[in-house]
Amino acid sequence: MMIKLKSFKIGKILLVIAILGLIILPLVGCGNGGSTNSSSGDNKSGSNATVGSTEPFKVGLIIPKSNVYATLGENLSNGMTMYFDEIGWKAGGREIQLLQEDEENDAQAALRKAKKLVESDKSDVLVGVVNSSIALAIRDYVDQNKVPFLVAHAGAVGLTRAKKSDYVYRISFTNEQVNFPNGKWTYENLGKKVFVIAPDYAAGKEQINGFKKGFTSAGGTIVGEAWPPLGTNDYGSYLQQITKAKPDAVYAFFAGTDAVRFVQQYSEFGLKKKIPLNGSGWLNAEDVRPAQGGAVEGVKGSLYWQLALDTPENKNFVENYKKKFGKEPSGEAVEGYDAARVIAEGLETLKGDSSDKLKVAQAWGDIKFVSPRGPIEFDKENHMIIQNIYLAETQKIDGKLQNKIIATFKNVKDPI
Amino acid sequence: MNRKNLLAMSVLFLISLVLPWVIAVYPLGIVIEILIYGIFASSLNLLLGYSGLVSFGHAAFFGIGAYTASIFAQNVSANIFFTLPAAVIVSLLAALIIGFFCTRVSGFYFLMLTLAFAQMIYAIAHQWESLTGGSNGLSGIPVPQLWSGFSFEDQKLLYYLILIVFLLVIFGIRRFIASPVGQTLIGIRENEGRLKAIGYNIRNYKLLAFVIAGGLGGVAGALYSYFNGFVSPHEVYWTVSGHAIIMVIIGGAGTLIGPTLGAGFLIILQSVVSSYTDRWYSIVGLTFIAFVLFAPKGIMGLISLLKLPGKKEVTQNFNVEGEKA
Amino acid sequence: MNESLSILAMQVLNGLAYGMLLFLLAAGLSLIFGNMDILNLAHGSFYMLGAYIALSVAQYLDNFWLALILAPLLVGLISLVLELGLLRISYNRGHLTQVLLTFGLAYVFNDLVRWIWGAAIHTLTPPASISGSLEIMGQTFPRYRVFVVLLGFVIAFLLWFFQEKTRWGAIIRAGVSDKEMVGGLGINIHLVFTLIFALGGVLAGLSGVAAGPILGLYPGMDFETLIFALIVVVVGGLGSFTATFGGAIIIGLADTLGKVWFPEASLFLIFAIMAVVLLVKPQGLFGGRAA
Repeated sequence: MMIKLKSFKIGKILLVIAILGLIILPLVGCGNGGSTNSSSGDNKSGSNATVGSTEPFKVGLIIPKSNVYATLGENLSNGMTMYFDEIGWKAGGREIQLLQEDEENDAQAALRKAKKLVESDKSDVLVGVVNSSIALAIRDYVDQNKVPFLVAHAGAVGLTRAKKSDYVYRISFTNEQVNFPNGKWTYENLGKKVFVIAPDYAAGKEQINGFKKGFTSAGGTIVGEAWPPLGTNDYGSYLQQITKAKPDAVYAFFAGTDAVRFVQQYSEFGLKKKIPLNGSGWLNAEDVRPAQGGAVEGVKGSLYWQLALDTPENKNFVENYKKKFGKEPSGEAVEGYDAARVIAEGLETLKGDSSDKLKVAQAWGDIKFVSPRGPIEFDKENHMIIQNIYLAETQKIDGKLQNKIIATFKNVKDPI
Repeated sequence: MNRKNLLAMSVLFLISLVLPWVIAVYPLGIVIEILIYGIFASSLNLLLGYSGLVSFGHAAFFGIGAYTASIFAQNVSANIFFTLPAAVIVSLLAALIIGFFCTRVSGFYFLMLTLAFAQMIYAIAHQWESLTGGSNGLSGIPVPQLWSGFSFEDQKLLYYLILIVFLLVIFGIRRFIASPVGQTLIGIRENEGRLKAIGYNIRNYKLLAFVIAGGLGGVAGALYSYFNGFVSPHEVYWTVSGHAIIMVIIGGAGTLIGPTLGAGFLIILQSVVSSYTDRWYSIVGLTFIAFVLFAPKGIMGLISLLKLPGKKEVTQNFNVEGEKA
Repeated sequence: MNESLSILAMQVLNGLAYGMLLFLLAAGLSLIFGNMDILNLAHGSFYMLGAYIALSVAQYLDNFWLALILAPLLVGLISLVLELGLLRISYNRGHLTQVLLTFGLAYVFNDLVRWIWGAAIHTLTPPASISGSLEIMGQTFPRYRVFVVLLGFVIAFLLWFFQEKTRWGAIIRAGVSDKEMVGGLGINIHLVFTLIFALGGVLAGLSGVAAGPILGLYPGMDFETLIFALIVVVVGGLGSFTATFGGAIIIGLADTLGKVWFPEASLFLIFAIMAVVLLVKPQGLFGGRAA
């Protein structure tokens, strides 16, 4: 096939080459990007970094830093920074560096960032990820490239079940885990007939599934289901459906703006007075309660952590966090704090030797400690965290709406 | 053929051949992404640049190609001689059906109708869980193979595969535009009424352009699934269509390599800037505005400014309105 | 009264309230596109700005009503400045340039809002007189939504009056059908454009404030609403408030009722409606005038 090139002027072609060069050059040199906070922060003593005289241990953190979930990401990052600050950014004789990249709520971009952190910045481990589909995409990458990956928020059950990997551990929760024990509790305390409602996407289905497992095996009946699209503006029509079904209680999973709208409208449409509202703990979590106003009073939700948790570890954590960041911590801050501790203690057990990546991951599996959220350890079978689940009700205490823990479910495993 | 041109082409070709051996894995990955989005933006450019049809739903074909290749790779075979044609055929068919409707309207209505169809495809990708994996998408897609035993595990090999497809697509578009059909499309863009009066069946020409663009968009989608090993509904969402439009405009609408340059510019801008600052949205936005103010004809326009009296390839402005502007 | 009938009536009322929000949102977009031929992709940003500015006004002055008035005016001022400073240069450059320009602006605003107000979720709290709920036909219904329906009708009437009965309205109507003629009448078309763009900004800002107590304030609300506004404009038809009003009510009702009757298809439904309208009556269901 003969291709005519007459209209291709030589100068133009050279310019294109120049532009391509300009594009590629920064790529070759863009290895050292990334916002880095490391030992250079609080502890000035980092200068005598001769201990072990090894390379710094690099932790690649992937979290949302822009758009909808930016607050989640910020809290996660705060939690990690706080723990590393406490231990002086050192573990197993090595300096710890935290490299942060934006998850961008886009799997393609997040995967690109994961590759950058591993291939270009030479991160030893990856941690973080909020969006489940992104976590699943990164899971395949770390599994193929043997990079230890500590999932610190994403809740898709597959990550530690069908798609479990030698290199993937999860310090957060599964979508089913936080709801499973609440199922039995709902049956025993709220009633035998429940209406379930959650956004129509994978996480919504899994959350409700976890509840159903606990609730129906206890003997309860689901009298109706509704699956509004994610980001629904108006729950009015669903609430009218619920009224019609006359359940003993409603069980819901909503997070973020969806949780704000649903809880507000649940009260505005007059259901709150008639039917108790229970659900997963994002329904009345710290980040949504201010926007929900009085509507959230009386709403219940189960989660792996609560601000009101009355243990020395948690009180200490909350106090230090407030001092450091000037605001109350969230569940994500705890996830970050614990993730940092798992990584640091893992490195400690290996005495700073991270040459064998499989060992780095396996070392995580042996770690157990009492976290601000209570005692935690990993399930050896699926690398999933075993933790307490707390059921909290929002009540007006001293004229202020607060979550009060009304039931504690101990050492909950992922209900496979 | 001009000897200088031959030389320049050879240099460019050699650079692209040795590239995997001189740059590291991560930058090579970015080059691959640029080639994939270069194909995607170039396919959109067939409509937007050459035919004057502003499609706001091109992500539909990217998504259809990616899902088809992934589903076939997971359930039937990961052989590219199988998955790539499958992706092309399904996206061609989809483009034929969608194009049949969309080419009945023009201008702003064309834009909105393509958006509507793409969002319906998005809804299907999101809701048809048994086929598409729902909102989590499909992950763990097998590595593409040339034949059994020879798979593209090594990123360098994948780079060459994608480079070959990219070159074929670019030269294919070049030949198509130079052909009588392609020239007619440009004629339609410039003056639809006149060609209608002469007796051309405008709609068939537009439909042809739409179908070819859709098929090539599917190719880009299939390559995307090879490279990333996953696909999610996000790839069909309207923001992806919007990004493709921006790639074409920034690169230079109606130019052969402009869209690829635009894709490269946008991908690098986004990935580099977002590593340094959380304020990258502002920087990307301000860059768009800067293009409007200082380089309204895109990167190719800048090049032709710098450059000597070359053949004017940069197109004129036109309205979404098409003939009625 | 029969229970399912009264539930249906409530759902229709819900759909109306949602439709009114869509009307306020889309009216400005339709006005700008119909008259100035500018596809303003930053329209969702004006909506977002309205809501966030109202949040600050309501916090500092502790008065929702003032926020409802001041925030849209401020957004109008911002859009006025943008029109004079940036958009004006893009008028003769075609739609693609405008897409790039306004999309760039939308990116910048998205980031600015996150910078100034943070990424946390907020809502606007309406005053006690229009919050809480009331009983209609044995069903409980939020009072604020009734307010939104009334507000929508009042604004719609004012806009209709402005467009059909005033001199400026006549000029704008003429501008939709024949720009040269308006110029020929010795009217400064640039001034008209500037005012139209500012009015579009005011309306988008107003819809942001009105939607605040129902939909909330969060990063990303700008891009989400933009698509809805475009759909309403297409379904109703360009350039006339009456057409946009009709389109908004249809989409509001279809979206609300569709979620009850075909919940799985609700992502699909409004786009399917838009596609059918575009194929059967491209100029919109209520738009007599072509774009």
